[in-house]
Amino acid sequence: MIKKFNVKRIIIVLLLFWANGGQAQGKEHITLFTDRDIYTSGETILFNVIVPSGEGSAMININLINTHGKIICSVNKKISNDQANGFIYLPDSMKTDTYLLCSSTRENPELTVKELFICNRFAGLIETTTVLRAKDIAPLVEKPVNELNIEGISKSYKAREKVKTTLRLPANFLTNIKDRLFVAVVESTPGYNSQTFHMKSGKKKQNIFGKEGIVVDGYVKDPGTGALFNRGCIFLSVPDSIPWLDYLITGEDGYFHFQMKDYYGEVPVVVQGFDPEKKKLLKISLNQTDSIKEGVPAYESRTIPIEIQKRIGNSIEATTMRKIFDCQEISFSNPQVKKRHEYPFYGVPTETVRPALFIDLPDFTEISRELLPGVKFRAFNRIPTLNILNPATLNYFNDPPLVLLNGIPVQDLNVIKNMGSKDIDRIEICRRERFYGDLAFPGVVAIYSSKQVNKILPESDELIKLNLDAIQPDGYLNKSKEHIQNEPDLRKVLLWEPGIKVKESITLDFETSDIKGSFKVVVRGITRDGEVIYNEQSFEVN
Amino acid sequence: MISKLLLFLSIAGIFFSAGVYAQQTHKTSQTSEKIRGARFIPYPNYTGKPYLYDKFLMGEIELADGTRISNLGLSYSTYRDELIYYNSAISAQIVIDKISLNGFTIREPNGNSRHFSRQYCGEYMHDHSYFELLSKGTISLLAYRKVNLEPCNTYYSKSGMAYGPAYSYFLYAQEKGYTPVNPTRNSLLSKFSKTNQKIVRKLLRKNGIVIADESGFVEAWNLIREKEIEPIF
Repeated sequence: MIKKFNVKRIIIVLLLFWANGGQAQGKEHITLFTDRDIYTSGETILFNVIVPSGEGSAMININLINTHGKIICSVNKKISNDQANGFIYLPDSMKTDTYLLCSSTRENPELTVKELFICNRFAGLIETTTVLRAKDIAPLVEKPVNELNIEGISKSYKAREKVKTTLRLPANFLTNIKDRLFVAVVESTPGYNSQTFHMKSGKKKQNIFGKEGIVVDGYVKDPGTGALFNRGCIFLSVPDSIPWLDYLITGEDGYFHFQMKDYYGEVPVVVQGFDPEKKKLLKISLNQTDSIKEGVPAYESRTIPIEIQKRIGNSIEATTMRKIFDCQEISFSNPQVKKRHEYPFYGVPTETVRPALFIDLPDFTEISRELLPGVKFRAFNRIPTLNILNPATLNYFNDPPLVLLNGIPVQDLNVIKNMGSKDIDRIEICRRERFYGDLAFPGVVAIYSSKQVNKILPESDELIKLNLDAIQPDGYLNKSKEHIQNEPDLRKVLLWEPGIKVKESITLDFETSDIKGSFKVVVRGITRDGEVIYNEQSFEVN
Repeated sequence: MISKLLLFLSIAGIFFSAGVYAQQTHKTSQTSEKIRGARFIPYPNYTGKPYLYDKFLMGEIELADGTRISNLGLSYSTYRDELIYYNSAISAQIVIDKISLNGFTIREPNGNSRHFSRQYCGEYMHDHSYFELLSKGTISLLAYRKVNLEPCNTYYSKSGMAYGPAYSYFLYAQEKGYTPVNPTRNSLLSKFSKTNQKIVRKLLRKNGIVIADESGFVEAWNLIREKEIEPIF
């Protein structure tokens, strides 16, 4: 009997241990903070994201989606010291509605979602005075921590008043928190609190985390059978003045992925899939950026209080004035990017020919005959062929060379057949047999054209073009223009300091703007255990 | 009952390990930095050695972006000053683009490593060259292991051509640049001021160092470097 009891107890203890483990993982969430809850179109959302310690991915993806789940804007940021800070510019075309700001990493399949109300600055609240609020969700509530003590804040300040405040941290508390704090002074909207909650991402938990950059991944299939294709050759090319190409051979799962290291801003990318044995045409599909698996939450309509409506009206006027006076909220700091490629992936060309320097030639056959040494292009029977003379043996290579158009590999030579002198800026030729990883090219012919490659190389099952949102460069908040007294100061974010070094006493200086109303000082940090700590103090500007 | 507990624990163990296994078996096709180069075309067969070693030795290369790739079969061609690697996946000997490398290390069968770095020595050479690092410091001793194909006596080589070493040595400091030096006592002394020459002579004499070959020269230079005696550039 005692033995039976003991076994039951052990089993219960084991189950509890298991359950606790699950809960501990559940606590590991991304937390999301935005400068405000209500915006007008034409403004900028500033966000601060804190990721759980030990996050495998080095990148975080922030999507702004509408109430139907459509992605409006997307931003990728590098995670540094378990934090990421960025911004999203809200286009003037956005309609007045509720939007969801979703943050996720490739490792963490759970989205942290914050609802925001965005008002079109031209339409205002003419069409509607109601707001959609997510219902049947479990809102996340952050409890303030008293140890993050904000001292010296008065209840009210005048417009354009210089404010000095101190953040005091107890000495024993310093050892418990990580060395960087996030501090912001932002406009607040009493009576309207956006809800933050978790939702399941449409993505499966990925083992490819993007430790170095943005991940482009997908699957390659046989379009005939629909089966995943084994040993498909996938090319990812970035057309540029010095083009970049990466490749991989898929396994049985037909999955491929590329990491785009140190690419910032919007990058044009072309993904192509080939059967190395040239027996089949392939179909490639890319994995989409995050979507909400559970679908968008249910909404309920609530009337916007009169006080908030007035504030939105004032906000619209302020945004318009800022536009008139060209007050940029954010300035970019140019990323310190290492020089990526000194020369093209196909090698230093042995010859470079600029057809514009010679007599006009109508097509590529003529160009190859007259201008390209050791290059034989023939277009008999509508099947063009291209061969390069091997300088070592003085015979033509049996296999065709790698043909590139603005750095994008071209399989069908009919694409270049009709390109004349007027269509081509320069042609680079590598006459030796070139190697790139495990790929061998019997020579290379790289054609550079200022013409729209989009028209020449149309999208197909085996060719996908996309403008990839690569890493967003770091931005910083523009300070007040003290020297221009006649211009209005309509800043709604008075201070945004994402990386303040932790010490016992931190002095914060900021100046109030011409915007009147409620503001708050917000301090956020992370404990050594990975828990997010937070405190805030409100004040009025009259 | 204990057997039941053991059964439960073993099932739990299998469950946990299956979870771990499921994560590990996901096929990752992580792309890596690609080595760029051209097919190696063998040199004419003459007397002498156009390579540093007769066969491929294992080694490591450092690409221009700092990425290191190890366990490659490498052969350094002293004749053309180019690095050849054997790509076993496609069974090809490939000359790695010099511009794509920062340097390389070749491991000798006895365990010693020889490090070469790509440097530009514009005053003495037209292009970037691989220099062997004989002694590393604020002032480094470098060797340029060049082999030339030159006419020779037909008694030595029937074809009348032979590969012959034409090594050159340099002292190199990042701020001061290069200064050529021969692996002889006189050449070494000429790199110092009159006062320092006396100190160097005394130092070599006291330590019994005779500069008869490259190893003696390197030993002498290492001793001078330790004593921080500044040469003239």
